[in-house]
Parts: sequence; structure tokens; C-alpha cells
Amino acid sequence: MAEFNVNLRGVGSVSVIDVKGYLDAHTAPELENVFNNLLDQKQYQVVVNFDDLKYISSAGLGVFMAYVETMRENQGDIKFSNMKENVYNIFDLLGFPILYEFFKEEKDAIQKFSEQV
Amino acid sequence: MQQTDNIAALRNFSALVDFSNLINSTLDLHFTLNNILLTCFGKFHTTKGLIALLNEEKVFIVKTSKGFSNEALKTFPHITSDNYDSSENLADFMATNKLQIYQEIKSTEGLKGLILLGTRLTNKIYDEEDISFLRTIINVGATAVENSIAVERLKKVNRDLDSKVNQLSSLFDLSKEFGGVLQEEKISKLLVYSLIGQMLVSKYAIVSCSGGNVKFLENRFDEQNLRIAFKNCDADNFIDVLVSAELIGAFMPFAEAGVELIVPMKINNETKGLILLGKRKSELGYSKSDVEFVASVGSLAIISLENARLFKETLEKQRLEKDLETARNIQNNLLPKSIPKFSNFEIAAFNKSAKMVGGDYYDIVKLDNNQLLFAIADVSGKGVPAALLMANIQAFLKSICKMKLPLSEATNLLNDLVAENTTNGSFITFFWGVIDNEKRELTYTNAGHNPPLLIRNGQITKLKKGGMILGVLPTMIPYLSEEIQLESNDALVLFTDGITEAMNKKWEEFSDERLETLSIELSGFDAAKILNEIKMNVDNFTHGAEQSDDITCLVIKVK
Repeated sequence: MAEFNVNLRGVGSVSVIDVKGYLDAHTAPELENVFNNLLDQKQYQVVVNFDDLKYISSAGLGVFMAYVETMRENQGDIKFSNMKENVYNIFDLLGFPILYEFFKEEKDAIQKFSEQV
Repeated sequence: MQQTDNIAALRNFSALVDFSNLINSTLDLHFTLNNILLTCFGKFHTTKGLIALLNEEKVFIVKTSKGFSNEALKTFPHITSDNYDSSENLADFMATNKLQIYQEIKSTEGLKGLILLGTRLTNKIYDEEDISFLRTIINVGATAVENSIAVERLKKVNRDLDSKVNQLSSLFDLSKEFGGVLQEEKISKLLVYSLIGQMLVSKYAIVSCSGGNVKFLENRFDEQNLRIAFKNCDADNFIDVLVSAELIGAFMPFAEAGVELIVPMKINNETKGLILLGKRKSELGYSKSDVEFVASVGSLAIISLENARLFKETLEKQRLEKDLETARNIQNNLLPKSIPKFSNFEIAAFNKSAKMVGGDYYDIVKLDNNQLLFAIADVSGKGVPAALLMANIQAFLKSICKMKLPLSEATNLLNDLVAENTTNGSFITFFWGVIDNEKRELTYTNAGHNPPLLIRNGQITKLKKGGMILGVLPTMIPYLSEEIQLESNDALVLFTDGITEAMNKKWEEFSDERLETLSIELSGFDAAKILNEIKMNVDNFTHGAEQSDDITCLVIKVK
């Protein structure tokens, strides 16, 4: 069974989600729960750190699509960082770079939020 | 002079070698085209030029340019490989933008593009030698251009292939996941995530339609608008995939609600659900391969959704069956558990429901130490409604017994109560009687029930006195009752039509005649034996054929 782990940390006012392992249709609900919690706590500035993510399926990508509008409507965003090339290729293939900001380093993504304010 | 020419030729030659090395060192199309232009600029001292290449439709598209404003570039004419050399538009464009010459870029496969160059700073025209040099540059460049184009095409094919692989792996992923999920909400969530992730949409709806009922499992469109759109559009109308250009006529409201793609989800060619998607964030339309993906995911999902529905239905059915079983237990408890004993009479009774719960009823109530009340009834219809009415009459009977009214009057009251409680034509055939143990006297009232048989000395008397069936109308004509002086060895057989209408496999009925003959034959035995024999005879007659009606029989024997 493919493993998936999701962890949430706060860095200043920004919420950082660490995703690890395999994000597919089976594990997508776990990530969904994290986003639901963020909405409950009115946390709209989110960086997803993909450093340990090995694989993502379209269902996993769908979770980001499902929440990004709400985040943006509340002056927040979902930004991506530390993505491995094979994972980025999937995002790229489906056209995500038009809609989302990708950063090499997590701190750059967090920095971007403070610039916006 | 000769010397100068040689030096010039040498310079040209070495420039060409440099150029050739440079552009053949890369497969980047833009870099190659850029270098062709720059080399020409350097050689001819011009500051303006562009290269247009033929696309797959054989139309020239500007790929690189220098010295043009964006506005000027937009005026580049629509020219094709067939008409460019006779095109006035091209001539006009060249004149307006002070372009002096154009040359074809040809490779071994034929025409690839055009290079257009502006006037020279030296104001010299392009002489023959210049043009021949230009041709040489182009010839060297053409191969590099061709290679770069081939690589670009390969990249695109690769990307398309990646995209297909990605779609397939998504499908694979989902098929694994759908197989194990039986909750409608979870399935539609999974479906949605895959679709919006793959298609990059934020407006979507998953709709289930069964029996003309449209249910939104997921919806991110304006619900009101979508409901209006569905109002004018039966689910049966959704047979094929509809892309935005086809959302016209009856489907127009969908387009107005922001829907750009409707994909039906079918089982056995019947549309069971719909996937509605809005505009793609990438601003791209839905390609054939996209639609195929959505349809494939949809057909996976609908099977899971259908399984979930069937599973839910089975659960509900099981719950209902459990309820019915409870109802049957309650109903069995409504029938007398023990039969009171009297010195001058024997009583035996039997009841069997054709369904889980039935509409037949009998009761035996000891009124006091000397008097016994017995009743038999058949409620119209079967199953739960009949059982409810049966429970109802049982309750009335128990209450009325306590009022110690004459039987005929009690029947008037009972009918009024039942008439008040029945709707849409339900009724009850009912017979009851009171036996006085000491006097061996029977008083009875028959409200439309199959007349019980009184067998005395091999003769049958049918007990018919009474009135109409219960529950049709409030009592207008009072019920009658009859008193009969019983004698020793008299047998009384009460039954419901489940006995006389019991069917064998040849669709023959047991019949009144059979029961009557049998009753006469058996009348000498005690009550239990008579009842058993009747039961056995009916069983032998039907020979295991399933009975559609409840069966009830009550036998009273005077000692």
C-alpha cells in the first residue's frame, strides 16, 4: 500500500502543508481534511511543500483546484514549493503553471505572501 | 581588385562557416531563426526583418522578427504556400513596412518559410551577389530550421503522449479506488477531484438522474440557474456528449449557466447521470481526448454509483424485512395464545399468513365463566395495510367485549368504528358468536363473512344471518343476530376464503363443495382432529403450490 503523509505547520501567518509519499485518489481525502481545517480556522495563506512527494495523480491535483478559489476570494492563495521534476511535470502537463505560483524554496513562497500585504 | 574580391569572398566564406557551426550546434528553433536574421542584418546592414514559417495548414506564421512594432506585426497578411507570391497583401505589407526583398526558405522537403528583409542603411539595393549570399545563408539555415521543427514536433508528440499516459494512470488509479467505495458522496467527490485536477476547471456538477429525477451530487454552478436549465430538459435528452457549441436550443440555459461540456454517464445505454463542466482555467477548449477522458472516468464512476445505490437499496430492504418480521411477531401476539376450556365445548384454531403479515384474524375470548366469544375475520387486501386494519379490529373487539352489549348492537358499533378508520375501499368480512356453555346456546352475527358451517346429523346449516361487510358504510340498517340451540355432537366449522380458494398447480380451487363434503365426513371426530384433517386435505390438494391468501380455520365441537 502506497504511503501518504500530510503535516501542517504554521510559519508566521502562513500555513505550510508538507506532503509526503503518494497523493492519489485513495489518499486525496486526507489532504482534503487539512484544507477543510484551514478553512475552519480562516487560514487562507497556504504553501504546499512537495519536498517528499513521490507521486501525484489527477485526483490529488483536484484537491488544489477545489480550494484555490476560496483561498483567493479571502485574499489568500495556494503556492507550491520544493517540487521534484517528475511531480512538476505532471502539474505542467495539465497546465497548472498558468494558475499557480511555483517556488524552488519554501521560504521564497512564504516571502511572496508578505510582499503582497 | 582581384585581391579585394578574394578578401571579400574569404570573409563571406568564413562568416558562412561560423554561421553554419553556430546554428547547427542547437536544436532550438527560435535561436536558429534569430541567428539567420542577425547574420543577414550584419551582412546587409539592415535593421528590419522577419521570418515566417508555414504551419500545418500551410499558412505563414511570423516566428521571429526584428525592428517591427507589435501593431505592425499584427498586420502581417494571411498568406499560404499557394498564394504568397501573387499576393497583393504581401506586397502592401512590404511596402508599408519598408521591406525590400523576400526569399523562400526551402529544405529537401520543399517550402518551409519566407524571410523578409528591410531596406539597407546604405540605401543600396540588394544586388545579385547579395541575393546569392542570402540564398546560401538560407540554404545552410534551412536544414537547421527543419531539424528544429522536427524536434519541436517530437516534443509536442511526447507531451501528448505524456498527457495520455497521465490520463491512463489517473483512470487506473480511479478504477482501483472506485471498486472499494460504496458511498455515493465519496464516489462523487473522487470523481470531481479527478476531473477538476485533470481538466483544470473550478465550475462543475455531478448529477444523477433516475426515473426523471435529477439530483445534484456535487455542484459548483449557480444552483438556481442549473435547476431552471434542467426544468426544460428531460434526462432522456442527454444521449451524446455536448460541447459548448452544441449547447443551443433547449440546452441554451446550460450555456447561460456557464456549462461548457456535458457528458452523459450511461449504463446499458441508459443515461444514469451527467458530468457538467465549466470553462477551463487554461482557456483551452475541450479536445477530443479530454472528452474521452471525462467519458471514461464517468463510466467508471456511474458503475460505482449504481453499486452504491443498489447496496443502499438492499440495506433498506433488509431493514424493512426486519420491520416486517417484528410486525409479524406483534401480529402473532394479537391472536389468542391459549384457547379457554369449557365443559361442553372443544375449540381448535389455525392461522397461517401467506405473506410476512396477513389480514386474517380470529379471536376467542372468555367473557365470563359461562360465556365464550369467538370471531373470525378477513381484511381486504394483504400485507401491511391489511395487518394494520386487522390490529385495529382486534383492538375494537377487545374493547367492545367489555361493554356487554347484545351481539347485534355490538356489531353496529363495530361497523361504525371500522368505517371511520378505513379509507379507499378497505373492508372486513366478519363473523362472531357467543356460546353459552350451560344452555349450549349459540348467538351469532355474520357481517358478510363466508358462512360458517354447522354440521348436525350429516346436514349442513350455513350461518348467514347478520348484515353487510364491515367498514364500507356507517351502520344504516342494524345488524341482525340469530340464536341457535346446539346439540351434542354438533360441529361448527369457521374458515376464511384462503381455505376454499386454495389453489393447486392446475389453478383449481379447493372449493366450498370440497370443504362441505369433508366437514360432513369429519363431523364425528373431536375438534382438533377435524381441524387437522381439513388442514391436511388442503395441503394435499395444493401440493406445495404457493398460496396467495392467508388461511384461517376454527372448529368448535359440542360435547
